[in-house]
Amino acid sequence: MKDSIPLAPLQRLAWFNLIVFAVAGALYLMAIPFFEWRLHMTLARAALPSLGVFGVCGLWGLGNYFLYDRKRRAKVKLDEREELIYQRAGMIGVVLFWEVFVALCMGVWAYLSYIRHQATVPVGFLPFLVMLGFIVFMVTQSIAILVQYKRSAGDDTL
Amino acid sequence: MTPSESAQLKNRIRRLRFEHGEMTQQELADRVGAARQTIIALEAGKYAPSLLLAFRLARVFGVKTEDVFQWEGE
Repeated sequence: MKDSIPLAPLQRLAWFNLIVFAVAGALYLMAIPFFEWRLHMTLARAALPSLGVFGVCGLWGLGNYFLYDRKRRAKVKLDEREELIYQRAGMIGVVLFWEVFVALCMGVWAYLSYIRHQATVPVGFLPFLVMLGFIVFMVTQSIAILVQYKRSAGDDTL
Repeated sequence: MTPSESAQLKNRIRRLRFEHGEMTQQELADRVGAARQTIIALEAGKYAPSLLLAFRLARVFGVKTEDVFQWEGE
């Protein structure tokens, strides 16, 4: 007899993070033509202020709610295998975050210094790079969680 | 433990569940304090549990740990 398995708290957290990211991405794609129309900008110029909609990703902070037992506060609802999945996913996320963050930091610096002959990197790049790195971490971690659950899923018969 | 080593760890959880009143995976998970997905992974041989979880599983079935888990490695 087959039955559906309810999502584990960690899976819910991962899906929540990916949905928030997808919503932010969709809003970003809608914001560019909006800014172009409203502020009379070119599409390329409108792409920068439109990045502000990624502030929606602040909702990620609420995702941890899925990990706590509502009845018994502060009790995390992860068992030993799920903690391993969470740790591994976090590790994969950090690795990719670090690769992207360092590559972009050095890439921006090299581009501005040697190609644009600009002595300094604009300070506005810093929050952009940090945010991008964090998004890379969260999305990678969420995908890694779902992949690990999928891989270790067996026959789900009762 | 690598996936190949994990595959060498056999268990009788599924059989023991059925021998104990056709206990469901969820019931077993609740009794040992684990997620149902973890029981599924254990039965599929895709996860090697900690000693603590192994002892808890054995206690639920009222048997020794080695009656639940067998290592078939060299």
